[in-house]
Amino acid sequence: MKSETIKTNPSLSGLRVLDLTRVWAGPLATRIYGDYGSDIIKISDPRVPLVTSNGLNSKLNRNKKNIGLRLDRPQGREIFLELTAISDVIIENFRPRVMRNLEITYESLSKINPYIIMCSMPGFGLEGPYSEYPAFGTTAEALAGIPALIGYDHSLPISTGLAYGDPVSGLNAVGVILAAIRQRNMTGTGQFIDIALAASPACNLGEFFAAYSSNGYQADIRGNKSIHYCPNGAYKTSGNDEWIALSVTDDHSWKHLQDIVDDPVLKSEKYSTFQKRKENESTIDKHLSNWFASKNARKLMFRLQEAGITAGMVSNNRQLLLDPHLNDRDFFVDMDEPLFGVKRYDGQSIRGNFKNKDNWETTRNVGENSQEILMELLGYTNEDCERLEKEEIVLFQ
Amino acid sequence: MAEKEGSLPFKDLKVVETAQGVAGPHCGRILAALGADVIKIEPPSGDWSRKLAPFLGESENIESSAIYQYNNSGKKSVILDLSVPTGISKLSDLVSKADILIEDWDLYSRRINGISTDTFTCLNPQLIEINITPFGLSGPYSDFTSTPIVQLALGGYLYLTGFPNKEPLMLPGHQPDYLAGLNANGGIQIALYERDHTGIGQFVEIAVMETLATLHQFTMEMETYDGYIRTRNGNLWQKEGLFANYGITTVPCLDGHVSFGVSTEDQWERLCLMIGKQEFIEYPEDWTREKRREKADYLDSLLTEWASSRTRNEVMIEASEGWSLPTAPVLGISEVLEDPQFQYRGFFQDIDHPDIGKARFPTFPFKTTNMAPSLTRAPILGEHTKEVVG
Repeated sequence: MKSETIKTNPSLSGLRVLDLTRVWAGPLATRIYGDYGSDIIKISDPRVPLVTSNGLNSKLNRNKKNIGLRLDRPQGREIFLELTAISDVIIENFRPRVMRNLEITYESLSKINPYIIMCSMPGFGLEGPYSEYPAFGTTAEALAGIPALIGYDHSLPISTGLAYGDPVSGLNAVGVILAAIRQRNMTGTGQFIDIALAASPACNLGEFFAAYSSNGYQADIRGNKSIHYCPNGAYKTSGNDEWIALSVTDDHSWKHLQDIVDDPVLKSEKYSTFQKRKENESTIDKHLSNWFASKNARKLMFRLQEAGITAGMVSNNRQLLLDPHLNDRDFFVDMDEPLFGVKRYDGQSIRGNFKNKDNWETTRNVGENSQEILMELLGYTNEDCERLEKEEIVLFQ
Repeated sequence: MAEKEGSLPFKDLKVVETAQGVAGPHCGRILAALGADVIKIEPPSGDWSRKLAPFLGESENIESSAIYQYNNSGKKSVILDLSVPTGISKLSDLVSKADILIEDWDLYSRRINGISTDTFTCLNPQLIEINITPFGLSGPYSDFTSTPIVQLALGGYLYLTGFPNKEPLMLPGHQPDYLAGLNANGGIQIALYERDHTGIGQFVEIAVMETLATLHQFTMEMETYDGYIRTRNGNLWQKEGLFANYGITTVPCLDGHVSFGVSTEDQWERLCLMIGKQEFIEYPEDWTREKRREKADYLDSLLTEWASSRTRNEVMIEASEGWSLPTAPVLGISEVLEDPQFQYRGFFQDIDHPDIGKARFPTFPFKTTNMAPSLTRAPILGEHTKEVVG
């Protein structure tokens, strides 16, 4: 059947991406494209050996081809321009001056390929007072207003521990680049996209900005207290640093919790509404903490959820990898890493027509696909490759 | 960058959105801003996020929720009661002519409404149906309910934020849902790319929990490669692991706090020079990466002393321009609105609403040369029912 033949090709088959990204935000974006069958050509500096010992490379650079290419050498640049001519997307997340110094700008590249979509992901954006400043995921989230809303109280802002500017920007890149591709297919012209790392997390706080601007609303920062639910928090359970998160979302589930928690104080009628619970939140939290302290987080989670109470154990990285739900859904992928053997990695969270996981490939050495890319895509000969290797313009492995 | 008035990429698309709350609507907001005709189906009582605080203007009512107003910009609101057969049949009519359906039906609501994962894609083979639920449509947690803190807990985020030996802390607002909405937007556009080539739509499933689990950077690899349990560590990154250099920290200064993201060796050296501690560079054996992390509290006190005579803005300018160090002020909501970089980008936009007046909303994190997203107010409940379903 025709439709079945089509279904064997993953969604982004035929989309060619030149990947100059590094660290975290950019590689996350191109990883999603790679999982979906896009032809990712990752361009690495031959002088910088790939670090594979921490697993990051295997995790983020799977399903990508790699060419080791000196962009600062004229012949290396020429190869990059030839690749530009046959690609759909160029994506990079260097500091702005790096690309300028390499003279790799949208203006010059669009002359070679007017269809090209180029996406830059600098810390603060390519123009404006901070445009030349270096950034990191943690500083980006600080400027966006995230850590100021995290804390045990107002006195000390606390960062996410996730370099939050990066993953949010990576997800934003996935969408906007494909939107630009679609627009190109309609209009015949490509475009340049500037994603500011610091702006992405701010888009996930829209209601706070709107409310402040409208009536001066100030968010209340006190641990895990919620404006929607009460109680709401993380409570210590038995076991080393094990916790359960709980939200009582309405008066019904509070009643169910009263039935489960064997505590005469909490059984009182005086906590029956949200307003009354909010007034006595610290008392409620204290009594809940006492009762939860001896319970097993995972068992308690199932028991509470079965009783209609919103709760979840606070998983650490090991528990996440062993999580029965994620494993039941076949979320993870096991890939063989050349030096470290078979390791487990997070899979693809967009469950559409992605590449069959049996065919996913793990880490690539710098230059592992140099020959294939030069000969098959650009028509270089064996002699050309030998010369480029000798002149240390391309690394082959 | 000058934005040319371009033709928006989704101007030919019809989207039906039955999803409520944050995740699905946030995704629909992006499509609407980029030209799609987004018909939001609401129950007679309205999307449940209409009742969520904080509110805009002077009163709390179904038109004044900030979350609703933000995430439903530029859509049409159509009231359909999907609990009765005529509601489902009107929905089917709309979906049969739509390109995209954004829905959030979990297993339970699929059962009671008799909707399976291929009901609508069979009706309309070109349809892209995106399903967003907290835990997905299979597996032991599929009947679980969730809130942001529970989602952060099971997604492995909560454990990482806060101080060791203290309660782990949630991220502000509705982060898991926003992330799932962004992921869903990616999923829709990937499926559109395929459909534009093959003419065939598909069903795409997004679980919030899995979305979080794919945005962890190196957290899981610390376990699989090194056998480490990564824990929360205040504003310092944990002792073990990549990038956990000293200089990723937050310290107080004259008028608040500043965040430093010093992660490479040359940045460390420049940090030492900036705070007048050249000797740290001269005796590298005393200041290995490991030793820096051990002495992080001492280094924090030195950095705090340096910063104590400077404002956040002075710290940022001096550290960034003078020493090329990643740093930024820790800004509160009101300060982000006034920040010169965000202002320069025109990042915020005022949107006026007849009931609640003007409010300032984020636009998008991207600027492009010829895509000009359009943001208009969210619809009043049922504003377009007559126009769309008669």
